[in-house]
Amino acid sequence: MMETHAKSQNGTIMNCAEFQDCLPELFESGKDLSSEEHLKTCENCAALVRDLEYIAQQAKLLLPLHDPSPAVWNNIQTAIQRDGDHPAKKPSETST
Amino acid sequence: MSTGQTHPKPTHQHMRRNPPIAGEAEAIAKAQAGDARSFEMLYALHKRRVYSLCLRMLGNVAEAEDLTQEAFLQLYRKIGTFRGDSAFSTWLHRLSVNVVLMHLRKKGLPQVSLEETLEPSQEDGPRKDIGSRDLTLSGSIDRVTLERAVENLPPGYRLVFVLHDVEGYEHNEIADMLACSIGNSKSQLHKARMKLRELLRTGERKEPAA
Repeated sequence: MMETHAKSQNGTIMNCAEFQDCLPELFESGKDLSSEEHLKTCENCAALVRDLEYIAQQAKLLLPLHDPSPAVWNNIQTAIQRDGDHPAKKPSETST
Repeated sequence: MSTGQTHPKPTHQHMRRNPPIAGEAEAIAKAQAGDARSFEMLYALHKRRVYSLCLRMLGNVAEAEDLTQEAFLQLYRKIGTFRGDSAFSTWLHRLSVNVVLMHLRKKGLPQVSLEETLEPSQEDGPRKDIGSRDLTLSGSIDRVTLERAVENLPPGYRLVFVLHDVEGYEHNEIADMLACSIGNSKSQLHKARMKLRELLRTGERKEPAA
């Protein structure tokens, strides 16, 4: 296990394990991680951060997908008709 | 060594979720009053996202279509209870997620119990030792490769990853949908990304030998 020590922003020593423990919150903070002291001296963690950022970025390419086949709507209609009276026939409860 | 120089920095704002949809509010109100055409319009507006969620979680077209059907039938029965406290698409997504989870539990996947699935696991936790320094993702992961890797995630990880990174829901919304804590959602997302990295790197290593 490679232990790389670097000064964190608050001046304490941070090793790889400590840095990775902080990663979920660091990502969610939206801050620029390139300013993290640990990453300036730790190639492994820098590569990890790059990869995780890349994965999050590429995930956006996964939309849109396909539509369901027309049979799905046909089945829904059939089921609705089979069910008969519908709850929505009651007075509306919405506030929209 | 700094990061963020060779890859675009990820945005933490998701622009595709819940865009204003012309006529949706009116269609909701009419569907709540029992108007069939308005319900059909809501189906047309949201079928792709519901189906995509089902397909990603199940990896099977037939099952995904069955669950899409079930989700919209539940919508038909419950639409009168929608009060607009959240976006309609979020509300519908929560309903769909529950349909998917119920289905997975019936299939005998007890780990899909949200309480259990979203519980931090030592085994699946982040690796403290990153190991080989030369293996980073090449930057050329295509959509198909990523889709396959996502399919191989454990269901709980996959669900949070899809909801957050693919569909753009915020952690507070995911926590609400899955009845877990925000911290749990964040933790599961991180583990999902770590697992994906591992899967993608393994794929890269295997590829030349194939």
